[in-house]
Amino acid sequence: MKWQLFVLIPIALTAFVNGQLFLKRGMESSRARGFRDRKVITFLACGILSMTVHFLLMLGLLAHFDLSFVYPFQGFSVIIISVAAAVILRERLNLRLTIGALLISAGIVLVSIS
Amino acid sequence: MTKNKPSGLGNPWLILGFEVICVLAYELLQKRGATEAANLSQVWSWTGLTALTSSLVWLAMILMIVSLLSWLYVLRYIPLSVAFPLSRIVDVLVPLSCWLVLGEHISPRRWCGIALVVIGLLLTAKPVAHLEEKL
Repeated sequence: MKWQLFVLIPIALTAFVNGQLFLKRGMESSRARGFRDRKVITFLACGILSMTVHFLLMLGLLAHFDLSFVYPFQGFSVIIISVAAAVILRERLNLRLTIGALLISAGIVLVSIS
Repeated sequence: MTKNKPSGLGNPWLILGFEVICVLAYELLQKRGATEAANLSQVWSWTGLTALTSSLVWLAMILMIVSLLSWLYVLRYIPLSVAFPLSRIVDVLVPLSCWLVLGEHISPRRWCGIALVVIGLLLTAKPVAHLEEKL
């Protein structure tokens, strides 16, 4: 059953990162446009859909693997989201935040695999 | 980043803390519920759908919705590149609460991981704290 791991974990991770980016974009837009704006609704709907896909995939993985085995892969989401927020959302990512995100990612992986 | 930021109970940093507590609870319930329902169907259990038969998973889903709403509120005011790393304090709280409350053993490697996360969190939070002081 190892192939599921290599297929489902990248999909789950991608769904999670996409979900966070959509939600952030939607909530940021809502400050100026309100919640009835079609663009805001679309961003939030895509975000919730992506997070739902991630949730179901995680349930599927957790049913067969220990949390300590699945969770380290989630650790990479910190650095991926930080970089994606800088590249896609144009957020300012300085050296301190980058090192912070890298250390948190590495720490989560270490905590999870121990 | 913090202009027009609500104060009091609506403070996004406070809501971020509440969101972390909700995530902590739902992750534990999610794991327990998924394990409970793992043997119902070998094929469908991979999709996560069999886990929906567990009441713990439904409780986890309620907490997940609460945490999602809190998270949406946080995202309205705090940059994702700051809020998301800070929210991962939950990865330190889980092993620490197991150690403190359940008396579970924490290996040296896990202590190193906890230390790395804490240093990373301090690095991420420091500029935010300075910014808050100035305002």
